[in-house]
Amino acid sequence: MKIAVSADGSNLDAKVANRFSTAEYLVIIDVDSGEFEAVSSPVTVRQHGAGVQAIVLAVSRGAKAVITGYCSPAVASQLKASGVEVLTGMTGTVRDAMEQYKKSSSMMKLPEAHHSSMAAMINKDVLIHAARNAARQFVTLLPILIGVVLLIGLFDVFVSEGLLASIFSGNVALDTLWGACFGSIFAGNPINSYVIGGELLKYGVSLFAVTAFIVTWVTVGLVQLPAEIAFYSRYQLLLLPS
Amino acid sequence: MFLFPIVILVIYAVLFVISPGKVGLAIKSSGNVFLNMIIPLSLVFVIMLLINLFLKPAAVAKFLGKGSGVKGIVLSAAAGIISTGPIYAWYPLLKDLKEKGAGESSIAIFLYNRAVKPFLLPVMVTYFGWLYVVTLIILTILASVVVGFSVSIFPPAKRK
Repeated sequence: MKIAVSADGSNLDAKVANRFSTAEYLVIIDVDSGEFEAVSSPVTVRQHGAGVQAIVLAVSRGAKAVITGYCSPAVASQLKASGVEVLTGMTGTVRDAMEQYKKSSSMMKLPEAHHSSMAAMINKDVLIHAARNAARQFVTLLPILIGVVLLIGLFDVFVSEGLLASIFSGNVALDTLWGACFGSIFAGNPINSYVIGGELLKYGVSLFAVTAFIVTWVTVGLVQLPAEIAFYSRYQLLLLPS
Repeated sequence: MFLFPIVILVIYAVLFVISPGKVGLAIKSSGNVFLNMIIPLSLVFVIMLLINLFLKPAAVAKFLGKGSGVKGIVLSAAAGIISTGPIYAWYPLLKDLKEKGAGESSIAIFLYNRAVKPFLLPVMVTYFGWLYVVTLIILTILASVVVGFSVSIFPPAKRK
């Protein structure tokens, strides 16, 4: 069975880090064999998403328990929802934490009564956390969407249908190619491509061209290329959404 | 994020000086587009809330890179569809999974299926209808499998 201990260093003699989300390392220990692996955390400063990154790291490494100094209720509830036991209040070295866990994990657990009252608080906490996340995601997509809708208004009034017809002439192959070209240049949230695509349909642009536009909008984008170049070979990049 | 709408507003301001009447019509036209989007956007928020409430990033991590064959494809596709947030936030995890031996095709399938956004379905359906949306989603998932298979054929990037 594997446990994840938040740590200030990459070995068993490192101190247990106080905060799970921003610990420098997560030391993943197989308590049966004693083998361990130190994984450096992607986020070591307090910023949005730090908790999520730490959760993903622990879960993806197969940890069944997390031992740390402190873990926020929202992060703890997400870990528990993923079947990971959360043990807080730990100090000393990673080795101490492992030994204590092996001897008796119950020593570090909170009393049951405390747990149940905390569960109610966490549920409310999770709901608030989810609502905040949803609101943040929603607000993030609004500015560009507002810009796109305002642009559609301008387009509606100032651009003649003749100009659009000169680009999308009715030739299915050529129109689809144009749609794909425009979609490849732009990137960002797909909702914008749906709005633009929907309006293009009203102007009589073919569904082929609009489909090419919205598909390439989400699958081809120059903005993401640098990150993907670091990940894939040039041949693979030709095939991937970028 | 705010640069684009600001640029558009500046264009509006300039055009207002030249042709205030037409700008008024443009605002009215934009307003109509917004009105048509109120209900689908409200549904987008509700679905976002539900996804945040019930689908945790950890669940995505559990799916991704697990299993082989058809099971691996289905799990990677499911992980891509339910994953949220910007793609760059997923690169550390993808790199980690790759180092642990997750197939390149699984990761490619995951990336391709991020094109399917469940929370944006209300907007998509409003503009294109259910039949179109369902067809496009099925084709996207099938295309992701083809891309995943093709990526595994090509030589991987050389690492220093």
